[in-house]
Amino acid sequence: MATNSIAPANVARLSDDRISHDLLHPVFHTSRRFYLIALLLTVPILAAIGAFLYQAYAGIGVAGITRPVFWGFYITNFVFWIGISHAGTLISAILRLANAGWRRPVTRCAEAITVFALVIGASFPVIHLGRPWLFFWLIPYPSERGIWPNFRSPLLWDFFAIGTYITGSLTFLLLPIIPDWATVRDKASGWRKRIYTVLALGWRGTPREWRRLEMGMRIMAVAIIPVAVSVHTIVSWDFAMAPVPMWHSTVFGPYFVAGAIFSGIAALIIAMAFLRKFLHLEEYLKPIHFDNLGKLLLLMSLLWIYFIFAERLTVWYGNQTSEMAAFWSIQRGKFAILFWTMVFCNFLIPFPILAIKKLRTIAGTVIASVTVVIGMWIERFLIIVPPLEHKYLPYAWGNYRPTWVEITITAGTFAAMALLYLLFVKFVPIISMWEFKAGQHVPPPSPERISALSPVQPGLQSTLPATDSEA
Amino acid sequence: MNAIYGLFTDSDSAGQAVKALRMASSRLHIKADGIVVISPEPIEERIADLPKERTPMPWLAALGGVLGGTAGYMLATFTQRTYPLPTGGMPIVSLWPTGIVMYELTMLGAILTTLITFLITARLPNYRKQLYDPGISDGKILVGVADPDCNCRAELEQQLYQEGAQLVKEFSNRRSDVEGEGQS
Amino acid sequence: MAYRWGMVIDLDRCTGCEACVAACHAENNIATVGDAAAAQGRAMHWIRVERYWEGEFPNVRAWFRPIPCQQCDAAPCEPVCPTYASYHNADGLNAQVYNRCIGTRYCANACPYMGRYFNWFNPVWDKPLNLQLNPDVSVREAAVMEKCTFCIQRIKAAEIKAGMEKREIKDGEFSPACVQSCPAGAMVFGDLDNPDSEVSRLSRSVRGTKLLSEVGTFPKVTYLERESSRGDE
Repeated sequence: MATNSIAPANVARLSDDRISHDLLHPVFHTSRRFYLIALLLTVPILAAIGAFLYQAYAGIGVAGITRPVFWGFYITNFVFWIGISHAGTLISAILRLANAGWRRPVTRCAEAITVFALVIGASFPVIHLGRPWLFFWLIPYPSERGIWPNFRSPLLWDFFAIGTYITGSLTFLLLPIIPDWATVRDKASGWRKRIYTVLALGWRGTPREWRRLEMGMRIMAVAIIPVAVSVHTIVSWDFAMAPVPMWHSTVFGPYFVAGAIFSGIAALIIAMAFLRKFLHLEEYLKPIHFDNLGKLLLLMSLLWIYFIFAERLTVWYGNQTSEMAAFWSIQRGKFAILFWTMVFCNFLIPFPILAIKKLRTIAGTVIASVTVVIGMWIERFLIIVPPLEHKYLPYAWGNYRPTWVEITITAGTFAAMALLYLLFVKFVPIISMWEFKAGQHVPPPSPERISALSPVQPGLQSTLPATDSEA
Repeated sequence: MNAIYGLFTDSDSAGQAVKALRMASSRLHIKADGIVVISPEPIEERIADLPKERTPMPWLAALGGVLGGTAGYMLATFTQRTYPLPTGGMPIVSLWPTGIVMYELTMLGAILTTLITFLITARLPNYRKQLYDPGISDGKILVGVADPDCNCRAELEQQLYQEGAQLVKEFSNRRSDVEGEGQS
Repeated sequence: MAYRWGMVIDLDRCTGCEACVAACHAENNIATVGDAAAAQGRAMHWIRVERYWEGEFPNVRAWFRPIPCQQCDAAPCEPVCPTYASYHNADGLNAQVYNRCIGTRYCANACPYMGRYFNWFNPVWDKPLNLQLNPDVSVREAAVMEKCTFCIQRIKAAEIKAGMEKREIKDGEFSPACVQSCPAGAMVFGDLDNPDSEVSRLSRSVRGTKLLSEVGTFPKVTYLERESSRGDE
């Protein structure tokens, strides 16, 4: 195999055979541990489905939501999962457009998170409905009642935005999988070969096909970014459009998008760490990837604390009676523990870990990511519940206490995410093989570019990028 | 169709082979679009002599976006006007919510158009027996000649081996010639 | 013939007896929810009476504010409903269409007056209380939002009768259950567009205020402030 690059001797260049073998191994071989984990994950999922059916049958009163807190755990989860879904867009689309080669092993992991998080997130508007069997009334179709949905409602905008985003993300995920499915088809036998022959759509690899695939990817990368920004902005407008103290804020759009990207990167790091460990992908998901993503996570953490500060400062300074009730209840009242936990989890713990290079190891970034995921869930909860508990008329203030139904369903969705991801890893090579191999074959940079690259850093020798496209 | 092809291990030798075939095309009676290249990753930039593939996909995607936006506008305004229900002192049809629906459907139109254009112009799915070699999945690049002139077969084979082909095979998807293996 | 129904509540006359609450329950088939649910905040009182204490012991005073749905002209609950279950009808009322409601509860979050009530479960009337249900009003099922309608069944009945007799509705010809039942005469109901109606006259009173007017909802319920609370100007 000709290596048309001038890699220094200490960079491991993986052969195509090695890459195919490593990345196809999970597709062709199923360990007992896989079945065990899959089985364990179905338990909370079945419990969640049972809880939901019970709720649909007995009435939504079995959940803890009440007057005045008409939205609770379910909408928290909705916003949380739609937020997590912004992982794929950032990594795949933006890094693709920025021509950052280190994204190659990471894109598919991220895009898969996006699709599954969207599917789970989009199920919550149905779960939280009082009459979920009528959810289809949000779809604009000519009904026999002669009435259409209300396009002035932010919930309709949600429907369109999330629908567009799911379509876009699925396309973005599935298009580059086709060549890899062709590879699986060629190497498989028996029933696997039949399935993958169908899935590969007869892909061969002619220049015609490649050109159109790449053009399609480029268009999708450009198109999916504004869609992703609009999706979480529109989700934030579910709150900002209502005259609830501390909801009716113009900062919600950008604030939510930043928070979404923040939680998305954290989820991606966690997923990558699991993949690296359980699928033995140490040669592919290298410390440099966690380092780069860790830096992005640090950036988003700073952006998050900026938004929190800006929002709370404006409320505090404005000193409007109606808003201050909710404000103090979050900062000093019964939500204080949650609030300060959130600040710890989203900023005070991740910031030193991610800012200090020595601590920004794989383990460090994973710890920071876990705290961020926890912190961001708490943040969604604190955005929704305390303002609803303290609206304009104090006589109508109330309390929210989640019941086992809501907790079970929440736990079930986390398990569902894990199970969907697990099944995805089984049927699709989780690292894009053709993109990874193509990254290894990129021609060497010119001498001017080489001198412009950063100098060798001790301690990172095995991950030193030789070309601008690092494997 | 009938083809003779060689499997090359890297893009440099494959590029040389394409160049050589092109230069010998009159001698070996190779048709203008008879040179076939199939690769496990996009190599168009690295092989200079291939005809450049052009696609109108971006224009079609933009057109799809425009159609989507128009559909969004018509959906929002038409439906709200046929059954006008005043809410919150707001006008029945106003720019802001209509604009949001138009925007989302514009993006959806662009995305769906891209997907459909891709499938149609790349001619997928295509399950018929076509020129292909499973060695491509192992990283080999296939360079061959489609429907070669009968008399020049041996010369073609020789040419391909000369350029560094690891293996030269024949492919046929006509029921009449069963000779040669091109598929596994 | 379009009317614009409004209400005036005189806070100086309200004694907090809650006869209006009871009458509303009886007229509109509103169920009681039980101790546990009420403690959770799930009581359904389309009109509720809020009680406020003033002063230090022994000079303590209680005063009361009955709050029905304010039937706002710029109601924030209306644009947010995805199925048009909450919309503004021709009489200026905020109409709630139970059949369209799928239970997103967005309207209840948007209402600054907390005037909306949700059916968390199917309402239950133990026998023989089911015999007391008003046949003019529907019984709502679980997961449907409901609220004060200014007794729209009485409004419609009066409009139909007046239409058949080819005349306009006279002021005071009918009233919602709460207004009818108030022993202190604290509540007045009528057509705000009719300059001679009592409600129209009282809503222009110098004591007239609107609740949460700063939110910009333009409610149609005018509260006449208590003389004692107006202070020394």
